[in-house]
Amino acid sequence: MKHSMKGLLALLLMITAGCSSKSAVAPTDTADTSVSPEATPSAVVSTPSGYGFDEFQTGPLGDVFYEFDSSELSADAAGQLKQNAAWMGANATAATLVQGHCDERGTSEYNIALGERRADSAKEYMVRLGASAASIETVSYGEERPFAQGHDEAAWSKNRRAHFVLK
Amino acid sequence: MRYCKELFPGVFLVISFLLFPGQVQANGDDYIAIRKEGSGKIALVLSRPAATGGKESGWAERLNAEARSGLDFTGLFTMIPPPLNVAGPRGAGSQAINFGALNSVGAEFYAGGAVSKKSGDIVLSMEVYDTIGGRPILRKTYTGKESDLRSIAHAFCADLVELLTGRPSVFGSKLVFVSNRSGFKEIYKCDFDGQGMRQMTNTRSLALTPVLSPDGKHLAYTDYASGRPRLSIIDLAGGKRSSIARSGNSIDPGWRSNTEVATTLSFQGDQEIYLVRPDGSLARRVTNSRGIDLSPSFSPDGNKMAFVSSRTATPQIFILDLQTGKTRRLTYNGSYNTQPSWSPQGDKIAYSTMAKNGEINIFTIKLDGSSLRQLTSGSRQNESPSWSPGGDMLVFTSSRQGQKKLFVMNAAGGGQKRLLQMEGEQMQPSWSLIGK
Repeated sequence: MKHSMKGLLALLLMITAGCSSKSAVAPTDTADTSVSPEATPSAVVSTPSGYGFDEFQTGPLGDVFYEFDSSELSADAAGQLKQNAAWMGANATAATLVQGHCDERGTSEYNIALGERRADSAKEYMVRLGASAASIETVSYGEERPFAQGHDEAAWSKNRRAHFVLK
Repeated sequence: MRYCKELFPGVFLVISFLLFPGQVQANGDDYIAIRKEGSGKIALVLSRPAATGGKESGWAERLNAEARSGLDFTGLFTMIPPPLNVAGPRGAGSQAINFGALNSVGAEFYAGGAVSKKSGDIVLSMEVYDTIGGRPILRKTYTGKESDLRSIAHAFCADLVELLTGRPSVFGSKLVFVSNRSGFKEIYKCDFDGQGMRQMTNTRSLALTPVLSPDGKHLAYTDYASGRPRLSIIDLAGGKRSSIARSGNSIDPGWRSNTEVATTLSFQGDQEIYLVRPDGSLARRVTNSRGIDLSPSFSPDGNKMAFVSSRTATPQIFILDLQTGKTRRLTYNGSYNTQPSWSPQGDKIAYSTMAKNGEINIFTIKLDGSSLRQLTSGSRQNESPSWSPGGDMLVFTSSRQGQKKLFVMNAAGGGQKRLLQMEGEQMQPSWSLIGK
């Protein structure tokens, strides 16, 4: 009896879970829930992880991160850019936009200048490794388009980045 | 007064003269001399203009209220309530003024007048007296339509302030600024006191760092509509928009004159400051140093440029002499000094400093690096200072109440007050003498 109750409960949970996931998936056209046609479960298996990847960057090119008021590349950043350059080399028709971003501290005009230097530092490093300069564009958003919304180092460290977008 | 025509359209000066110019000028000079920055305010009695008739009385009430709140905004005056027996019911001009009564309440100046109606228009006749000598120092008549009532009151305020301080007043001046009210950062404009707010751009992208040319005819700003930050210049009369046709990013313009605006461009690789014409064509490059060069602000004669540079690692303010080509560092206090704004008198520069704890405060400094003065403190981020046309006030952004909002203060940091009631955040204000 106890077992059958458990089984029933499990079944109910499965049904409600099924229902709720269905209802969540049903109104697909919003930006938050839509999934591009290629991103089928089998393709997602190879999602890269590690230094350059987080909830704001799932690949194939990884982002790189910076210290406050700096556009210097750390060893981790250089390592990620090597991988990015290799990927670009293997995908000759690919083109990317590198967005330079800053945390909210400091003043916004300076941060646009700093964001440009971050994007440029990432691009220059990849070009030195053989990536085609023509296939990498840069833009700076300064502190205007933060990824993480908090007001602490946890958020700031996520927002000081060169963000790669495939074109 | 020479700006009257451009500043107050619709207001006509029927009679315009100063009495006893020699004495008046002497009074004015003495007056300015004893009122160095930070000293006392001007003690003024402003009487409601006399009027007969319902319409005229209504105008007199509103003109008085506009003038009173306008003069109060400047922070230059102590407004003393008029003594009951100061002048006759028909206005100052028609009857002897009781200077004894004015002196006893401590007034230094007395302003009064009369309002009448002519062909449906408002006719405001004003007189200003030096109460100690009992001499009239200004006698002027302002005429305009009822819809221009605020401008009529402000035209008188402008004359009064310019006579007593010898500097351009705030009256008729405009502010441009950025707000995210619509969900996008766009450029807005309002009067010096926050009235008459209106949206100027609709990029539905990002529009930043607006500045009006000295003659108010062009608006320069940074526009992301193309996907990257570019200098845009709008001819406000015709609405024609020019963009700079160069690769790379463009950041933070500052006008040198009506025909040249400086901005940071990176098309040659490193970020450098260039002079650009209003049609978007390049005039010349003015900086040449590895690192960030940013945020140009010019001396009143256009011969020197304050700017931000990271050439010594942390951002600091530098001054470039455009005639000799020599650059020198101005700021040594703090490790994050940005946003220079050169005062209209030319003697000092306002800028912002970020402290280690993230607080940002506004400072002023003399051109030789002396007289460093902190104007804000203990109130989160205070940034983007911009001088009023006479250099008496600064508009700035503060997050002291949470969201970024516009504030004003006097040149010594006193009288800090919120400027504008508007949804969303407001930032990057720029104060202009003229702007339609």
